[in-house]
Amino acid sequence: MEEKYLTLKEAIVDGEVESGSEEMQKLIDSGIEPAEIFSNCVEPTLNDLGDKFASLEIFLPDLMIAGEVVEAIQIVAEPYLKAGAAEVVNKGTAVICTAYGDLHDIGKNMVNLMMQVNGFKMVDLGVDIAPKAVAAKAAEVNADLVCLSGLMMPSLPYIEETIGMLKGDSLTQNVKVMVGGGPVTEGWAINAGADGYADDAAGAVAKAMELVA
Amino acid sequence: MDNSTRLMDIIERSLTGERMSEADFDRNSIARGVKKIVKKYDLKFPKDSVINNDIELADRVYQAGLELLSESGVYSKDTGRVIRFSKQEIEQIVRNAPSTLTFGKGDDAKVECAQDLENPHTMLQSGGPVGSPIPEEYYMSCLTAYMKEPFIDTISPCTAETVRGMDVRTRSPLEIVACWEETYKVNMIRKLVGRPGLSYGGCEMSVSEIGQLSAAQGSQFQQGDTHTFGIISELKTDNGILCKVAHATMSGGLPDPYGNPIYGGLGGGDEGQAVLIVAINLALIVFFQGAACGSSPTHPIYFNCTSRNVMNYTSVGFQALANNTNLMTNLVLSPVGGPMTKTLLYEIFAYDLMATYSGISRMYGPRSATGAISGHFSPLEARFSGEVMRVAPSIGREKAEELVQKALDKFEADIPNKPYGKPYWEVYDVRTMKPTDEWLAMYNEVKDELKSWGFPIDQA
Ligand code: B12
Repeated sequence: MEEKYLTLKEAIVDGEVESGSEEMQKLIDSGIEPAEIFSNCVEPTLNDLGDKFASLEIFLPDLMIAGEVVEAIQIVAEPYLKAGAAEVVNKGTAVICTAYGDLHDIGKNMVNLMMQVNGFKMVDLGVDIAPKAVAAKAAEVNADLVCLSGLMMPSLPYIEETIGMLKGDSLTQNVKVMVGGGPVTEGWAINAGADGYADDAAGAVAKAMELVA
Repeated sequence: MDNSTRLMDIIERSLTGERMSEADFDRNSIARGVKKIVKKYDLKFPKDSVINNDIELADRVYQAGLELLSESGVYSKDTGRVIRFSKQEIEQIVRNAPSTLTFGKGDDAKVECAQDLENPHTMLQSGGPVGSPIPEEYYMSCLTAYMKEPFIDTISPCTAETVRGMDVRTRSPLEIVACWEETYKVNMIRKLVGRPGLSYGGCEMSVSEIGQLSAAQGSQFQQGDTHTFGIISELKTDNGILCKVAHATMSGGLPDPYGNPIYGGLGGGDEGQAVLIVAINLALIVFFQGAACGSSPTHPIYFNCTSRNVMNYTSVGFQALANNTNLMTNLVLSPVGGPMTKTLLYEIFAYDLMATYSGISRMYGPRSATGAISGHFSPLEARFSGEVMRVAPSIGREKAEELVQKALDKFEADIPNKPYGKPYWEVYDVRTMKPTDEWLAMYNEVKDELKSWGFPIDQA
């Protein structure tokens, strides 16, 4: 990575929100396009963190604090983004949640953070979300992708129902749906009408990229 | 203080405690809180053994866990508040908690006693697949086969994927029907296998609170049965869970709660996980009225508890509890391997040895093939686990460590392959409820191997 970006990289890795924002401002003031900063520094840094998390060299808290810095950086960059440039930064908007009746959220949170650090704008609804609420949110935020996590058999029918609702409504029929979690298999996912499935958080990012491409 | 008065105290604190957003609780109280405390207590695990042999380290982990819990409290998602007990209150309630517990009744009664680290006794076995799903048509056969296993001291059933052919949907009328069917079937099988007083922990089908509140009562639940429920990782609750606590308390039942910290999650790495184990188990007694307490520390990629480092921090965390309290603690044995794999048997062997020498007094499971793969579990591995548990206390800590290492050499490399093996109906004759010759032969082969390692398993 070019030397001028090393301070920003360090701030992201160390979770330093203030120095991250300051450094971003400095870089912009020095005349570099925000989109360039993202593709040459923020994204590679986050990809690297994501890889380290996938191999458990770093942990969820490290990813969380990096996510906080990036959020702050995005706020600094926003006023300077030219029309169209926002897309370089944003890979797509994704709604994510755990299925109705299901409180398991650790895997969902991992997928959420990994997608966030890989450039998706994530709308995390939390756990135990009714199919109707997912569909309404997807329409409201004009989502490109809906990610559903289910860890228990008795919650899987609700995932199927959610997919049916999304695909059956003209407002959301083109939204791609990706599913995952312990009892979910690729076969089940296809049968239930999902567009994609992944085994783990790293796979989820790859699948998501493919689906919104 | 009697149990219902304590219950009211907990409810009141959940309604009046400090307001906080869930994100702030996760980020500051847990993620940052654990990091800070690991640093303050200078926790660094040597990782040269699986079974911890540094009791001073375990004692520091205990103090760290106690401090974490007294500072973080438990987050109530529905009221958006933090339930807190001071360090002194936690210590007092834990000091007064029982150190023995009777499961079941009559001739089938079994007593759990807090484990002695120096001089361990055989752990009790809460045998069964602990909520793992199975197609409805095999449910009765499989559960009966488990309940016939003589080493199983209390039963922790599997769950049927459908009820009368319909997919079970949580928090719907189907959950209530499914829970009543679970209790009917357990009660019938207890009589059929001649163990009418065998303790049952349920309802495993109660994913939300409604099934348990409906079915765990009256003639369905008998004296010495336990009410199972998990708290939300890490250190969170909601009204559904508090309803289960209230129900168990007011109906005079035995709450048997658990909390599952996830490696690499909010608690971070090994040291943070051990601190969380202490905090969670203390919380189960203080905030959730546990008659006992336990965990299923889980690996985030393989969903097991038998990875080398997971066993090591589990050992430290539970030794911390054993050396500083008189609590009864349990684990859920969650291997990656499934029936018809040697990996499964090596994982069980290593885990039972680690647990016996780490202060555990009761073992759930085995929840084979991580508990998430339909029907991939069988009673034969519960028999094997029972045998290992019975012999384990006689060999001493050093020999146990040596054998854990030996077993790890056998199974560690196979974990990433996720060797889920075969389902119940392929390794058992579903009608006679007996294991196939093939599966039995593999089990005997591993037993012979253990004997050659100097582990006298036939003395079980
Ligand atoms: C931790 C845990 C809990 C915790 C959850 C805490 C929390 N905040 O999440 C608590 C204690 C609350 C809990 C409670 C219960 N649990 Co539980 N739990 C587990 C456990 C041990 C680990 C799950 C976990 O977090 N794994 C680690 C994470 C990282 O993995 P993951 O979620 O699968 O996610 C990964 C992938 O699947 C994927 N992924 C996940 N989501 C998505 C989404 C998309 C879109 C994609 C692409 C990928 C993807 O990426 C992730 C990262 O690699 C499992 C058993 C096991 N060994 O797995 C049981 C398990 C899931 N639980 C189970 C049960 C039955 C329950 C209870 C009903 C028990 C009871 N009777 O009280 C309650 C139900 C509560 C409720 N209403 O949800 C069963 C489910 C059986 C089934 N398949 O039907 C399991 C399998 C254990 C068992 N056999 O009993 N549990």
